[in-house]
Amino acid sequence: MNYGALIFLAAFIGISASWFGFVLTPQIQIGRETQATNTVNTAELYPIARPGQANEGAEVYRANGCVYCHSQQIGQSGTEVNVVLSEIGTNPVAVVEALINAKVGVTNANATGLSAGLPKTILRNVSIGNAKKASKAVRDAGAESRVDVVPVGVDIERGWGKRHSVAQDYIYDHPVMLGSQRIGPDLANVGVRLPDAKWQLLHLYAPRTVVPESIMPSYKFLFEQRKINGQPSPDALPLEGDYAPPAGYEVVPRAEAKALVAYLLSLHAGAPLYEAPLSVASAPAATAATNSPAK
Amino acid sequence: MNPSSCSSSSTVANDSLIREIDASARPPLFVLFFSGAIWLVISSILGLIASIKFHSPDFLANCAWLTYGRVYPAATNALLYGFAIPAGLGVGLWIIARLGQTRVVQPWIIAFGAKIWNLGVLVGVFGILNGDSTGFESLEMPKYAAILLFIAYTIIGIWTLLTLHARQEKTLTAPQWFLLAALFWFPWIFSTAHLLLTVWPVRGVTQSIIAWWFAANLKFVWFGLVGLAASFYFISQLMNRALHSQYLALFTFWTILLFATWSGIPHSAPVPAWMPAISTVATVLTLITILTVMMNVYRTVGRGCGQAANPAPGKFIAFGVMAFVVSWAMHVLNALPELAIFTQFTWFNVAQNHLNVYGFFAMTMFGAIYYIMPRVMDMECPCWGRVKAHYWLALLGIILIAVPLAVGGIIQGFKLNHPQVAFVEVMKSSLNFLRATSLGEVLLLVGHLLLLANLIGLAVRYARSRVTPVFVDAMTEIKPAGVKS
Amino acid sequence: MSSPANPTETTAADSRESQARGAAVPIWLIVFMFLILYWGALYFDSNGGWFSAKVYAPYHSVEEVQGLQPVSGGNEMFELGKAVYNRPTCAACHQASGKGTPGQFPPLTGSEWVNEEHPGRVIRIVLNGLQGPITVEGQTYNNAMVPWNSLSDEEIAAVITYVRQNKEWGNHASAVTPAQVKAVREKIKDHPLAFTAEELLKISPEE
Repeated sequence: MNYGALIFLAAFIGISASWFGFVLTPQIQIGRETQATNTVNTAELYPIARPGQANEGAEVYRANGCVYCHSQQIGQSGTEVNVVLSEIGTNPVAVVEALINAKVGVTNANATGLSAGLPKTILRNVSIGNAKKASKAVRDAGAESRVDVVPVGVDIERGWGKRHSVAQDYIYDHPVMLGSQRIGPDLANVGVRLPDAKWQLLHLYAPRTVVPESIMPSYKFLFEQRKINGQPSPDALPLEGDYAPPAGYEVVPRAEAKALVAYLLSLHAGAPLYEAPLSVASAPAATAATNSPAK
Repeated sequence: MNPSSCSSSSTVANDSLIREIDASARPPLFVLFFSGAIWLVISSILGLIASIKFHSPDFLANCAWLTYGRVYPAATNALLYGFAIPAGLGVGLWIIARLGQTRVVQPWIIAFGAKIWNLGVLVGVFGILNGDSTGFESLEMPKYAAILLFIAYTIIGIWTLLTLHARQEKTLTAPQWFLLAALFWFPWIFSTAHLLLTVWPVRGVTQSIIAWWFAANLKFVWFGLVGLAASFYFISQLMNRALHSQYLALFTFWTILLFATWSGIPHSAPVPAWMPAISTVATVLTLITILTVMMNVYRTVGRGCGQAANPAPGKFIAFGVMAFVVSWAMHVLNALPELAIFTQFTWFNVAQNHLNVYGFFAMTMFGAIYYIMPRVMDMECPCWGRVKAHYWLALLGIILIAVPLAVGGIIQGFKLNHPQVAFVEVMKSSLNFLRATSLGEVLLLVGHLLLLANLIGLAVRYARSRVTPVFVDAMTEIKPAGVKS
Repeated sequence: MSSPANPTETTAADSRESQARGAAVPIWLIVFMFLILYWGALYFDSNGGWFSAKVYAPYHSVEEVQGLQPVSGGNEMFELGKAVYNRPTCAACHQASGKGTPGQFPPLTGSEWVNEEHPGRVIRIVLNGLQGPITVEGQTYNNAMVPWNSLSDEEIAAVITYVRQNKEWGNHASAVTPAQVKAVREKIKDHPLAFTAEELLKISPEE
């Protein structure tokens, strides 16, 4: 038996099948996504290209292997649909009656006090069909309500993002550094979570002065310790204790550190997209809902 | 004697031909294994530095070259590209020559390719430490190093194929199919990944998909094919009996080719749902691979367990098969979304990766090297005691790394899934497990030094046994058997 | 000294290796593989989103994602109008904010033309476009608006509803139905040109 050619054919079939599936097809399907106005309900372009300094920062992030400890992707376990009553109108009794008649979970027993303290979530975690039914009933009775679509999940509850990450979020990244480890927290949304550039710089230089139990390495090599000439630099880090430079010296960030911080602050993950629906106007309500313990 | 006189029906291959084959393989194997051992030592030193950073995060903080995010990928690349792939190529070459009952074709060219490969790894590891990493896991080697690696692999691969083509024993057996497929596999995935990620980068998250595809094809398909080829071959050699079933091996072969190739996309990936869904199904189908390997090995060894003529290499190979079963089973569990939410982004995946790359592949290669080198050098291994010590150090080391990481990873995963637990708490809970692995790293380092010492010992004795230096073209210097100083 | 590691043993084994042993693959293994394949088909059917680029975990189908697109108050006309407005049709000149461009395109926010009790004039503007000077909120604009009669009655009704009922823009007028648009379209079918503001003011907005 001499099946050398046959084995080559087998290898060829095996690899070309997976190449077709995981190289060619993704490229055809999502490889040409561009900046688009598919953000829901607004005509804003998404995503916004990073400014030059932030792009340089992405290179610093890559070169120093931040990706080995930090992921940049948000997961989502489900979606809650809530109905929020915003205006009761002129006839509260009719509204309550309409809600009860819509048979969406509002009964005589839990309808009391429905109109107090508006806007108020009157239905929580219902099916989208019921939410729309309730909303229509309320509207027909002369009141106003809205349907909130609230993504839920552990990452979202931790405040790491607002919705699951999708391909559209990464179209300007090269390399795309999704990460496979969470030795440190996820950074997909760090620009919104920790928007203070001073804090970020201090954290890079001396992580344990701002987060006492952190195990992040210090990135002292991105900073420069120099003699104060006349006036101290406005960029100088406010260091104390073990990390403080000797008297007459100051620690200032090099260009790499500034670029890295600009990159970190450019990381956002919350625009509502078609493939990641999310109600935006209801941001405060969504935060309140997701701060409740996991179900 | 003329090798062509060994026809395919011959059952008595003569000793002198065997010696000629071994001698012809000497120059390439010496370069591949010796440099591999050096890269292992470098890898474990770098790994140890990375591991110390978890005890003392300010350690070496002023040095950009030694920050965790550079040392860690340098260590993994030194292991993957410095040791694992060249060792696999060397073992594969020898198996192909032995099974084909033919001498290695122009071995000095393969040795030359191996040197270019090492140059590529050297340039690449320095590139990573210098901050030139591509940023894609398992593919960190910068473009300029990748070109060298690709050229080197092509040289080694072509001459390995020529050796296969020149075989006297025409029948191809299971290890040869596996090795032949693997030979084609690597250049394809490596060039595709580099072209589409660093040369003409594709847009957005498609990069990550290709990087995952590459990593799965390297760690499961290439290592799986080469590692299992070595396992099957050496188990039947050591047990002195043929593999239980060629048909089961064929099943193993096809399931790796058709299923493991699709297994790379993690459940959490921000890509359209069909990709992780296909990956999950394909990964669960690799259960068939695991089962066929288990059955084949179990039936081949049978009641003869412990009867191997030379137990030391057999121990490495046996541990490798066990680690294969455990790590691939962990991979299957990881693919199920219900379990993946507790293991994603945790140390569990690192434990799985260590068990696969080190516990399975590297251990199998150690066994193969200890089996091959004494024959190739035509010399008894100077110290089987040191080989046994290496075995125990490697075994304890990998267990001390994989078990704490797996357990710590699961605890980390459960805590990550409870948003009430502050992130700092999650991190602290895995820290103790993480520190336990530093001991494992030390044991592995000592083991690697022993491997290097064993190879040096062989080389020194070989050099003393003849006047000529070690690096000789074996084709011009075939010794009659049994001539010793 | 030592002999090279037992050559006779290797020789024999090498040749034995090449004699294939061909124990059959047990039938249960094949059955098991087909069971996994069966499970895999079911799993992919429910989790794979059928290769759609728009379905990401945790969603299972395009319908599910479509159903969750944000809605406000069950007012589907308003939502459709918002989508039509931002296609961009109107948004190209009047902006997504409805504020227009000072000196060039008049605002829709609080505009007396938009907020008329009856929508007759504004339907005509959208259908046939507008030509020449028009005064909006005390400012005079002199520009041209293209006709949008290629849109369906429903789309025009929706987009005018969206503009007229947009509270964020300060507009509180009544909704427009597709029937109203249809009626106006019938009436002006012999008037192919863009309207002028003067001409519009002569028509009763109720018609």
